[in-house]
Amino acid sequence: MNITESVRMAIASIFTHKLRSFLTLLSVAIGVFAIMGSGSLVSSVDETVETEMANLGENSFKITRMPSVQTSRSSRRQYNKRERIDYKQYTQLKKSIGDMAFVSVESSQGSMIVKYLEFQTDPDVTLQGTNEVYFNINDRDVPVGRAITEADVEFNRNVAVIGNDVKNKLFKLSNPIGKEIKIGNQSFEVIGLLDEKGAILGQSQDNQVIIPISKFNKYYSNWWESLDVKVKAYNKESFAYVLDETIGALRSLRGDKPWEDNSFEIETNESITEQFSGLTGYLSYFGLLAGFFALAAAGVGITNIMLVAIKERTREIGLRKALGARRFWITMQFLVETMTITLIGGLIGIILGYLMSTILGLAMGLTVTIPINWIIISLTVTTLLGLISGLYPAYKAAGLDPIEALRYE
Amino acid sequence: MPKTIIDIRNISKVYKMGTQLVHALRDVSVSIDENEYVALMGPSGSGKSTLMNIIGCLDTPSTGTYLFNGTNINELNDNELAEIRNREIGFVFQTFNLLPRASALKNIELPLVYSGVKKYDRIDRAEAALKSVGLEDRMEHKPNELSGGQRQRVAIARALVTAPSIILADEPTGNLDTKTGNDIMKLFQNLWESGNTIIVVTHEEEIALHAKRIIRLRDGLVETDEINQNQVKF
Repeated sequence: MNITESVRMAIASIFTHKLRSFLTLLSVAIGVFAIMGSGSLVSSVDETVETEMANLGENSFKITRMPSVQTSRSSRRQYNKRERIDYKQYTQLKKSIGDMAFVSVESSQGSMIVKYLEFQTDPDVTLQGTNEVYFNINDRDVPVGRAITEADVEFNRNVAVIGNDVKNKLFKLSNPIGKEIKIGNQSFEVIGLLDEKGAILGQSQDNQVIIPISKFNKYYSNWWESLDVKVKAYNKESFAYVLDETIGALRSLRGDKPWEDNSFEIETNESITEQFSGLTGYLSYFGLLAGFFALAAAGVGITNIMLVAIKERTREIGLRKALGARRFWITMQFLVETMTITLIGGLIGIILGYLMSTILGLAMGLTVTIPINWIIISLTVTTLLGLISGLYPAYKAAGLDPIEALRYE
Repeated sequence: MPKTIIDIRNISKVYKMGTQLVHALRDVSVSIDENEYVALMGPSGSGKSTLMNIIGCLDTPSTGTYLFNGTNINELNDNELAEIRNREIGFVFQTFNLLPRASALKNIELPLVYSGVKKYDRIDRAEAALKSVGLEDRMEHKPNELSGGQRQRVAIARALVTAPSIILADEPTGNLDTKTGNDIMKLFQNLWESGNTIIVVTHEEEIALHAKRIIRLRDGLVETDEINQNQVKF
């Protein structure tokens, strides 16, 4: 008598009671589905944030008026009181830290229409105003043509680097370099083509046009809009120092009193990831909690079903004992049977949960991962569930008196 | 001197039924040797079922000693009793007690599964046992695809497969018609003649007459224990 034999017996008896087994499987599958689905969806969100959202290069941080992730309305009201970061603050900041770091300034408008001759894009293009450092800090290349230069910003030139989506819409296969495009009533010469990045959280990174910040501020920006500033220290060693200097300089530029908090946000890759984990953390706790409650209910159901099964199979148990089955093997038989049911249910739940999270994840434009850790958690939980809910029925079965059991009608 | 398999000395068995004590057996002594063919008879309430359960190591006596092949059964725990039942005793029941979803072969394999015999060895031995009861062409049949007589043959094959010291049959023909019952009794006779030790528990005189020795119980006592002078042979 060994485990394979027990598993074989268990599977045979599962097939004997198809409907009952199916319902029991289902209850386990639902619980595991909730755990696995929410868990792996959250993993995908985290993964996406880590690999793509937090795409600030090494030794970089970002200065914004408001944090990128806001969870409550009251904090939003607080942030709304903050003064905007304007171009003057950027230039002064650059003056004080420009010799130890790259400083970029960024501002954007969504929903723009870009035209070339009779062709035009949908009103969904992001127009990005920035300076020459943008490409370095944001890790973007300009493989065809050239990028924006310091002179372009200084002399307020009508030049633009376009993303691949815009190029495909307006130029198809022809060469866009040197062509004249129109955004609103301003014309720009295309000087470069941005490398392809694909989409993050459903948002294409290639559907954009980049122009000098000076041009942008003049024609496309509203007076109340705040700029984003990104800083990249020249090397790792100076990062902390640059960060300190930047905060100090900005506080004095913005007139923050010593007893006040910063009137701006400093975000690093870690802080962005952290903010998201806070958000996704709630999601995963909720999923886990729902899953565990569902499984606890399933466990009670399984214990009940197994007690019924043992009652029905009293004679069989009596016979097995008469033929020489030791207590241990009767216990094993019913434990393995329970665990087989919960494991099959668990596997179904894992597959369904994975499918759901993949479909949702793809729809949301996430980097979909195979959540090994959640698969392991789900399998462990279902195994334990089978063990715990099967223990009492199995113990009861093993303790039956063979004479009584054989006589049972 | 033939070897003594069952040596029961002055055993009694007392049950508690509610507040009342029931003396199912009072001071019973029985000894059965190798290759005997014994019928255990008695009306209901005579204690024959209790004695059968004790002989079959499903139950232990309240007082007295029971030596099985020299082993004192009183001293064994649940698991050790299970082992004795597995290796030494082949049970045949009135209601056959086959696993309904398992094939004839699988049913016969079951005791070997519990004694840890390897799969291929198990199948070989189960096939041989099935052959010895003349059902080699019914190996893959489920119990519900077999007649009553065939089912009891499968049960007997299951009892034989571990090569036990005794075959203990409880009303083996009780659920069968006379002709099929006779076939089964003929099979027992063959098994006895080929060296097996057989104990048949019955309340039917005709069935008991096939045995070589008849033990009659009444009110928890051995009433008579004698050689059957009129043994009916096929």
